[in-house]
Amino acid sequence: MNFFKRMQDKIAGKGQSQSQAPSPELDQEVAQRAATSISPLAPPIAKATPKQMPKTGTLEAVRHLIAVGSGKGGVGKSTVALNLALALQKLGKKVGLVDADVYGPSQQHMTRAARPQMLEGELIEPPLVEGVKVISVAMFAAAGQAQMLRGPMAAQVLKQFLTQVAWGELDYLVIDLPPGTGDIQLTLAQSVPLSGAIIVTTPQELSLIDVRKAVSMFQTLNVPLLGVIENMSYFVCDQCTKKHYLFGQGGGQKIATEYGTNLLAEIPLDPRIGEASDSGRPAVTHFPQSDIAKTYLTVADRLLAQHILQRESDGALGYFVLEWKKL
Amino acid sequence: MSEQARVKQIWQQDDRTLAIQWTDGKKSLFDVVELRRQCRCAHCVDEVTREIKLNPDSVAESLRPLRIESVGRYALTIQFSDGHKTGIYPFERLREIG
Repeated sequence: MNFFKRMQDKIAGKGQSQSQAPSPELDQEVAQRAATSISPLAPPIAKATPKQMPKTGTLEAVRHLIAVGSGKGGVGKSTVALNLALALQKLGKKVGLVDADVYGPSQQHMTRAARPQMLEGELIEPPLVEGVKVISVAMFAAAGQAQMLRGPMAAQVLKQFLTQVAWGELDYLVIDLPPGTGDIQLTLAQSVPLSGAIIVTTPQELSLIDVRKAVSMFQTLNVPLLGVIENMSYFVCDQCTKKHYLFGQGGGQKIATEYGTNLLAEIPLDPRIGEASDSGRPAVTHFPQSDIAKTYLTVADRLLAQHILQRESDGALGYFVLEWKKL
Repeated sequence: MSEQARVKQIWQQDDRTLAIQWTDGKKSLFDVVELRRQCRCAHCVDEVTREIKLNPDSVAESLRPLRIESVGRYALTIQFSDGHKTGIYPFERLREIG
């Protein structure tokens, strides 16, 4: 049974007898994808050509998928992902945001997004937040209800976010990853060709240790690094203008240098941002004059200018299928 | 960070040869039966000991792929005529064995 329907039924108190056993949806999807075979190519030699994602997906019209990850928890990935998505939208791009943190979803709370609507054919219409399409597992659960799912099921939820949500035409789909290098991250990198990843870190070495693991994972999976955003870089108190480097200095730059990528921004700690996030008012849209909002717009601008996102491809096939012919 | 080379073109060269043109200009040819024997999936290689569990002789010379599909940006997967379809072949590895 469809995960979302099951969750919604749960909220509504229906279908309590529904088993939590792993669903056959994954197999079904694989079978469907296999059935979506490419029309016979000119024999005798079959050749794979650039393809869109399989028809079962809803990502056909999404130009770039960008992961926001860290490896480390609590560094502000979700805040960064949301504000970045909003900043890209402000620059005139069509943007979506996936909260891929199945166990600790934040985007629903930070945006106060409405519940999504079910469309015909089991598609889900994502709610709009300031023009950005947002989806989060929290939209399908009662507040405080835990998602007690084993790895494969959690990965399955992410797959459904990618294949059963009516994303429509988007320039960027920003994916807010959970911490770690596990099922969710692997499923994402194996299911879709990511255009790149943005790494979020805090300045201290403790954070960098986990961040290096995430970078190593993205390198193994051949996902290009788009840059590093250092969050909680410093604090400016309201009594003076001195920058207080609470967690040390230079961690973001260090990681960026180590891996030959750019430090996109150093974002200060600002109690107003925490408070605003808690009340569903992201900095970019609700405090547009703040330094932080301006920083996000600069980051979005720099991302748009990046070679990797501008070019269609380096001639590489994104998604491809080759059907073997009997000769 | 230097990006890995990716597939620019992939095609069936002949009855049992897979050809890949890489983005850096290199071209590789693979014997598909040998690719099956080189599978490093959890069925064919012990996940903990890395001991190879697949007997190469058990792979018939008549075996062929049915379908080859990309996996993200870094690998491809092959569905073989013997029903085996769990192998993921990272591009990096293919460039080593090709």
